[in-house]
Parts: sequence; C-alpha cells; structure tokens
Amino acid sequence: MSPFALLFLIAGLGLIAWLTARARAMRFDRGGAKRLHSLPSQHGWYVAMWTVLPALLFLAVWGSVSPGLVREAVMQHPAAKQLPAFDFEREALLGEASRIAHTPGAKAFDPLAEQLAEPTRAAEKRYGWTGTAAAILLAFAGGAFAFTRIRAGFRARSRVERAVMLILLVASLIAILTTLGIFLSLLWESLRFFGQVSVFDFLFGTHWSPQVIDPADPGASLGAVPLFWGTFFIGAVIAMIVAIPFGLMSAIYLTQYAAPRVRRWMKPILEILAGVPTVVYGYFAALTVAPAVRDLAVSLGMTYASSESALAAGLVMGVMIIPFVSSMADDSIAAVPAAMRDGSLAMGATTSETIRRVLLPAALPGVVAGVLLAVSRAIGETMIVVMAASGAATITLNPFESATTVTKQIVDLLTGEAEFDSPKTLAAFALGLTLFVVTLLLNIVALAVVKRYREAYE
Amino acid sequence: MTETAPAPANDTGHKMSAKNVNVFYGSTQAIRDVSIDIDMDHVTAFIGPSGCGKSTFLRTLNRMNDTVASARVEGDIRLDGEDIYSPSMDVVQLRARVGMVFQKPNPFPKSIYENVAYGPRIHGLAASKADMDGIVERSLKRAGLWEEVKDRLSDSGTALSGGQQQRLCIARAIAVDPEVILMDEPCSALDPIATAKIEELIHELRGRYAIVIVTHNMQQAARVSQRTAFFHLGTLVEYGVTDDIFTNPRQERTKDYITGRYG
Amino acid sequence: MNKRLASSDRAPTDWKAEAMQKRIRRRYAAERRFKLMGLAAVVLSAAFLAFLLATMAANGARGFMRTEVALEFDFPALALPVDRAQLSTPGADLALAGAELENVVKGAASAAYPGPVPLISDNGWLTVRDAIKADPGILGRKERIWIPASPEIQLALRGEGDPAVVTGASKLEGLGAIRTGFNRDFLTASNSTDPMVAGIWGALKGSLLTMAITFLIAFPVGVLSAIYLEEYATRNRWTDLIEVSINNLAAVPSIIFGLLGLAVFLGTWEMFGHQFGPLLPRSAAVVGGLTLALMIMPVIVIASRNAIKAVPPSIRDAALGIGASRVQVVFHHVLPLAMPGILTGTIIGMARALGETAPLLLIGMRAFVVQPPQGFTDPATVLPVQIFLWSDEVSRVFVEKTSAAIIVLLVFLLAMNGLAIYLRNRFETRW
Repeated sequence: MSPFALLFLIAGLGLIAWLTARARAMRFDRGGAKRLHSLPSQHGWYVAMWTVLPALLFLAVWGSVSPGLVREAVMQHPAAKQLPAFDFEREALLGEASRIAHTPGAKAFDPLAEQLAEPTRAAEKRYGWTGTAAAILLAFAGGAFAFTRIRAGFRARSRVERAVMLILLVASLIAILTTLGIFLSLLWESLRFFGQVSVFDFLFGTHWSPQVIDPADPGASLGAVPLFWGTFFIGAVIAMIVAIPFGLMSAIYLTQYAAPRVRRWMKPILEILAGVPTVVYGYFAALTVAPAVRDLAVSLGMTYASSESALAAGLVMGVMIIPFVSSMADDSIAAVPAAMRDGSLAMGATTSETIRRVLLPAALPGVVAGVLLAVSRAIGETMIVVMAASGAATITLNPFESATTVTKQIVDLLTGEAEFDSPKTLAAFALGLTLFVVTLLLNIVALAVVKRYREAYE
Repeated sequence: MTETAPAPANDTGHKMSAKNVNVFYGSTQAIRDVSIDIDMDHVTAFIGPSGCGKSTFLRTLNRMNDTVASARVEGDIRLDGEDIYSPSMDVVQLRARVGMVFQKPNPFPKSIYENVAYGPRIHGLAASKADMDGIVERSLKRAGLWEEVKDRLSDSGTALSGGQQQRLCIARAIAVDPEVILMDEPCSALDPIATAKIEELIHELRGRYAIVIVTHNMQQAARVSQRTAFFHLGTLVEYGVTDDIFTNPRQERTKDYITGRYG
Repeated sequence: MNKRLASSDRAPTDWKAEAMQKRIRRRYAAERRFKLMGLAAVVLSAAFLAFLLATMAANGARGFMRTEVALEFDFPALALPVDRAQLSTPGADLALAGAELENVVKGAASAAYPGPVPLISDNGWLTVRDAIKADPGILGRKERIWIPASPEIQLALRGEGDPAVVTGASKLEGLGAIRTGFNRDFLTASNSTDPMVAGIWGALKGSLLTMAITFLIAFPVGVLSAIYLEEYATRNRWTDLIEVSINNLAAVPSIIFGLLGLAVFLGTWEMFGHQFGPLLPRSAAVVGGLTLALMIMPVIVIASRNAIKAVPPSIRDAALGIGASRVQVVFHHVLPLAMPGILTGTIIGMARALGETAPLLLIGMRAFVVQPPQGFTDPATVLPVQIFLWSDEVSRVFVEKTSAAIIVLLVFLLAMNGLAIYLRNRFETRW
C-alpha cells in the first residue's frame, strides 16, 4: 500500500472514530447534570487523537527503519554475494534493482540487478504489509482504548487541550533544534577539520589554495585570511558604499518628501529589488556588470583588469541590499516621535535641517543596527559571488582586481567530487562555522541595539 | 506692570491679526470663520472643550499646519501687517519669529546646550562660540532653568524632569529671539509644582513677547492671561479681557462652559 | 520705561538684512539639493531594477523562440529496416535506433545544406523518431518534417556569425525551408546538453514538488509555534531562548542551511550508509524541500506572530468571558482573524524559497536531470539551479535560454508577491 493511501486510511479511521465517539457522547446519560464538562465533539477529538497519533508515530519510526530491513533481506539473497565491494557501484546496482522492482516491464542493464529485483520486491512487499498491518492495528487499539474511557463525566476537553498544547510546544521547539542542529553539525565537522589543520593556520594563514593541498601540511594552503578579507571587502565595503547612501536617502525621500501616492507606488517597486532571486543578480552581475566594470578599468588605463572583479559583485550586491537598508532606516525614522520633528520645524528649521540634525541623530542607533544586519546579509550572500566573483584568493585593495569570499569558497569546495573526509571538504564546514558565528554576532548586537533604542522611545 | 509698549508700526497696530480664518482637514472643517487680534506684552489664552479647534487654530499662526498634508487654511493672518500665508512670506523666518512650545515636552535627544543652541545655529544668529554661549546662558536664565542646569549643560536634555524639559523647550524657543510664542497646553503633562513654575515663567516673559497659550484649564487661563478667547466647535464664541470673560460672559455658551456645565 | 528694550541685551534679529536673506537663500538651496539627492536615490534604484528587467526581457524573449528547418524524407526510398509491429511497443526507441535513423536524418540534413556548420541540432533526429512513433504510416510516403535547426543556423538567421553561414541561412529562408517560432519544447522538455531542445519543465516540476514539501512542513510548524509563543508561552528563560533562536535563524545566511542539510545527510550516511546505502538520492525534492522548510520557517513564525499579536485582546476577552476554553479562543477566533497576515507572510516566505539556490547547490540538487521527477524521492533539480547551471554554458542559445528561464521564474515570484500584497490590502484590518 502506498504511503499516501495509508495516510488517507488512517485519517479516515480518525474521522470514523470522531463520528462514533461524538454520537456516543450525545447519548450519554447526563445523570441530572445540566451540562457535561466536555462537548460531544470534544469526546470525538479525544478518541480520534488516540486513533491517529499512535499509528502516525509508529509509521514515522517504521519509515526510517524498514528500508534497512529491506536491504538486509536483500543481502541474504545468494546473488547479493556477487555485489561489488565498492560503495558507489553497489549502490547503483541496488538502486537499479529497486527501480525494476517498482516499475513493471522495466529492463535492466545489469543482469545482477535483475536477479536482485525479485528479492527486493518480495522484501519490500513483506515489510510494507507488516508496517501497514501494524499501523492499522495500532489505530484500532488506540481508538478502542479511548472509546472505553469516555463517559458522561470524562474530561475529554482538558485532555485534548493538553495534547494540543504539547503539539504546539513541540512545533516551537523545532526552532531551537534547528539552531542547535546547525551549530552542532558545523561544530562537529569543523572539529574534524581542526584535527587535521591547526586553528591558527586556518584563521591567520594568508595562503589559500585548496586545489593543491600538501598532505603533510594541509594547513599551509588553507589559510583563510584572503577569504575573510575578500568577504569584508565585497560585502561590508563595496556593497555598503552602494547600499547605505541609496537605501538611506530613498527612505528619507519616501518618508519625508514624497507625496503619499508616490510613496505608495515606489515603496513596493523598490521592494521588488529585494524579491529578485539572487541567482538572477548573479547572472546579471556576470553577464552585464562585470564586463562593463572591466571595460571601465581598461579605459582607466589599468593594465590588469579582471572580469571577475570585486567591484562588479559588490555593486550588484549593494543594489540587492538597498531595500533592506531602506526599510530598516524607514522603521527607525518612523520610530522617532513626531514631536521631535514638529519641535524642530517650529524652530524654523527646514525639512532637510530637521532630518540631518534631529531625525537622523535620533534614529542613528536603529540605522546602525540596520546596517549591521545588512552587512550580515551581504557577507552571507552566495549566488552573486559564486557567479560573478573570482575563485582566486588575493588580498587586494583595488576593487578592479579579483577577490573571493567565504561563501564562494564553500560552494566551490563542496560541489567538486571529493571525499567527505578530506581536509578540503571539511574546510567548507569550518568556513561555514566562521560565517555562522560572525552573522550570529552581528545579528545579536543589532537586535540588542534595536531593542534598547525602541525602549528609549516607549 | 505697564501697558505702554510701543505698538509695532503696522496698519492694524496689532502684533498678529487673523481675519475670517477657515481650516479644513480634507473635507471636514475644523475652524469656522475665526477673527482675532494678538498684541504684544499680552498673554492671550485660548480655552474651550477638547476638540473645539483651539490647538488647530494655534498651529495656523506659525503655519505648523503645513506639515499636515491634508490641511488647508483659508482667510487672512498677518504678522506685523504681513500676510503669513502669502508666497513671499518665508516659513522658516516666520517660525523663527513665531515660536512654539508643545503639549508634551519634546527636547531633542541632544545635550541641554545643543538643545538651546539648535535654533541660533540653524539661523546663523551667533557670530562666535562666545556669542553662542551668551545666547544659551541668557535663554536658560530667562526660562528660569539656568541655576538648575548650569553645571551639566552637556547632559542629555531628555534626562531632565518633565517640568525642566518643558522649560528647556521654552528656552529653546526664546533662543532665536521670537516676537510671538505659541504654547499648546504647555502644562498638561506636568505636575502641579512644575505647572506653577511654568505659569510664573509665563508671567515674567509677558513683557517681552506676545504669548498665546492654549489651555483646557480655566483656572490657569484666569491666572496667566490678560485676554481670553473661548472656542467651541471650531468657532470663536467670545473674545475679550480675561476678567470680563470669567466674571461676566456675554454668551450663554461661554457661561455654561465656565460654570462647568459641559466640557 | 521700555521693558522690552531694557531687558534685551542683544539687538533684535533683523530678518530683512541682506546677510540674513542670503543665508536663507543658501539654506533653501541646501534643502533643494538634499531633496534632489533623495529623489535621485529613489529614481536610480528604480532605474537599476528597470535596467535589470529590460536586459532579461531583451535576452529572454529570444529564448522562447526556436528556428526550425524543413527536411524532406522519402521514407519508401530510404527503406528503413524497421519492424512496424514493434513501433507500438515500449521497445520502439530501440527498434528505431537499430535503423540508424540518426545517420539517415543527419545525412538528409547535410544533403540539404552542405555548409561549414550542421543544419540541424544534435538531437534533431529525435523529432523524426517521434514523428514516426506518433504515426508509423508516414514510413510509407514522402514527408516534410520540421526539425530544430542547429544553434549556428539560428544565430545566422539574425545575421550573427560566419558570413558564409549567414548567406546560406537566408537562402534557405528564401526557399521557405526555415522558420522561427515559439518553442514549445522550452516549456515542456527537460534539461539537455543540446540547447535547441533543452527545456525547463523538469526543473519547474522539481521546484513545484520541492515547494510542496516546504509548504507542508514549514506552514503547520511555523503557525503552530507562533500560536504557542504568542498565546500560551509564559515568559521565561526557555521561551526567551526559543524567541532568540527564531529571530537569529531568520538572519542566518541561506548557505548555512545547505551545510546543515549536507551534514545531516552525510551524518546519516555514515551511520547507516555503509549498511543500507542512501535512503534517498541527494537531489530528491524531499531533501531540498526539508532544507528550505527549515530556512523559511522563521519567516512564517515571525509573520504569524505579528498577525496574531495584531488581533486585539478584547476579542480574546470576549470569547473567554462567555466560557470558551483557550484552545477554542485560539482556533475559533484568533487564528481566523490572523489568517490573512499569516498567509501573506507564508507566501513571501515561499517566494523566497522558490528563488533560493545556494543551499540546494550544496545538498546536491545540481544534478543533470533529463527526466522530470515523478515523485518526491526522484532525483530533481529546481528552476533557480537550472538557471545557474545554464549560466555556465557558453553557447549563445543557452544564454538566451537562461534569460528566458529567469523570466519564467520572475513571473512566478511576481505573481506570488502580488498575491501577498493583494491579500494584505484586501484583508488588512485596522483595529
């Protein structure tokens, strides 16, 4: 039975349980009481819950265990002895066998796969039915158990609500688990990396060339300083030189000067800039901006002009960040009480004097926090630099030269065909950990600044 | 107290005069046909129940209604005989000459010194640092705040108490040497002691400026003002010498309000 | 005595003085400059967007078009060794391959145009094969079949490339043996190494499957946790921790989620892989969908919390006051009222997931997938990744296809964002 059919069946059983329990609750002997503690439908929910949840829980566990059982059963087959020892080939064969088992009439390229198809099918069928039967049995057992418990005085509502509460709690815990998962998985792989390469070499080394790693001293070519510099240069310098003035000035114009109608139209239009997928920006940067920047450099008389310059990636990244800075600035300026603005205007200040001397200084903490968040977003941005920046790790102050970033290197390191245990692959996780920690810190600082700033005006 | 200040040289003889003023917010009319004269060396109080338009009218006197996009002012308002809504009138200068103190103290989040220096700085009134120091000191002294803050001029203006903040705002307003000061319920956010100080200050300032104060507190109007205007539903019901208004109102509505029948 | 003059130790400001008037003019000039700078910032930002869209549209419009050439086949004369009975069985492809159809078609093409470049695309013969499969009857007669042209011919028709080819192409055009029209394959076919027949359907379907998984996970979990945090959680260290986690997760770079997905995948591989092998291909829609779900969940949680927060307490009090339980209050009153806001946030989150590339690259959804995925566990790729893969191709035709694919992606995203804005405006309630 297909998983979807099974889910539908269980849901159907739940519905039946709900209906019968409700019907039964409606006929309860009220024993003189005017009202029962729980409504009939709440009794229904109680029984339905007992019908569905244990079965689903079982299926979740079974779903993760049964493929292993199937595999084990297939391995018992005499033909499995001929399977190659090499993982990749063996997986390909077993995968093919399973595909043949699923699609009737399909032919195999490898006779071995065809031999194994039959045992695969048999084992999958066997375990599939075992699981289905067990799940249905559990549904009935749970439903029956709950059904015997409901009676006139039974507090079904409290129990249902407690279960709902538990489900809500579990849902909100997923956020913590994800954060923890990210941190632990990055930490785990990074620790393996730092088992092979010293932390010092990684964080302070200035030579990065993962293509050629000397097995005797992998740290010598895995110094991440050029990456950190490139990331900072592209994301925190060039991009911000574009994003901060444009974002801030457009926020000021739209909030302080523009007619309401202009504002109503221009704000969403600028927000489209933030909604354009990064891969599109990357493509645009590589296809249009980078050649233009190179031509500019050549016309400026630069002998060496890279077509993967830091400037091209940074410029486009800056444009992408504009709406982000703009909306943060907008919020911070809006948070300054209108009385400040009135006070300054009533002194005879012009609008621009009011903005520059009163509103901006007052909104500064919020604007700074917004810039920090924008930086954190820029240094974590991947596709633009993957497509438009260079892979060559150089430390340069010249925006027309090439620079590489942490994110670009993570993608480069992980999309090649490399073993998962090599220092090259693990380095990606160490870079990821660094990026995670830095963006997290930026974010925490920014949120703290915003929070304190909000409190100042509340 | 003498009433012998020389009348400014203009056609009406009044510092400010408004004739047939109507104010609209979008399509609703907030002020109907109000005419009133404001004189130097007098405190003029605007009283009336909340929503009667007294604050709205006050804000037309230095064109603060310009900042509300939907507001539209009709009629004729003159400062020293000059139409303040005429294109040749510069709103920046107008507001320097007609200062304003708001309902809630609104010092800028800057130091006390910078708060007072803000106006002279933007208008370029001080020739030197020493000059600016003089202006700040004089303004704070006039606002009766100097003794309390002279040792901590670099502290933030927002760190002062509510009453001190309001006096700081008054110091800020008088630092640009205005001719008229508009006060929009300046004591409504303050405790009685701070209120008494502000009222005392208004008394002292009366000799140098034309002061207009909006208040919903009739005792306050009686205490600080020489003239009182009673607003109701956007119209000016009665305007006259304060003592007359309070002891012998000519209009029935004024009487009802003053005796606490409504409002 | 004159009190005013006596107490004023400064001369009253002379606003009419020349110096003062000059100063005011300067201040107004500064005001105008500042305002102009603001306007320039807005206009330039919008102009950049317009330039970006125009570039994509100009390139992409051609990506939807394809040039085809007509070839005449005298099938009886060719006498293809094909068993017609086999053509209606699943072995038809094999049977036609045996007939060396590819060589026959290419031969016909070079006979029609013996130029320096091939006339038809590498996979052009498949069109003939499919035509025979669709109607075996044509094997008994002469037939004119339109076949995708080679990239060189397509470009030559616009006057680009080798002048000799250009004249050859325009000669063919004069004969009516060449046409350029809307390329339906682009929307119905999957990826291919041959730019003339490559399409986006496989990637689009992969995106849809991935989005389905993302929605099914992120929406319920996100909304439920928002309800918990907003309606039930008492403020303590644990709920603070949850809140901080969610706020920070929203700012974690997307690529980190790719690393998480990869690490989890590698981790399970290490634990079970050597015994069982991978339970799923790395590029399965379900793996990508799960990764993206984790990524957009914070967006949904934050939007939902704001929507729930905006429901005034008076409504909760009213319901509680007539004896509703808290669960009833939430599910009968608060949630329906907050739903427009929640949906708006969800759509925006989904749009973000639809345009996301980096994490999917890392977990391995960059496979060369020529068959549209049939289910959630089949190897798949998504539209943004397809765009990324095509962007590396040098062929001009692929460049245009990349822009065309971008247009399709942008249309989807604009539609989603438009829907979100519509929802926000239509159902926005001011309490």
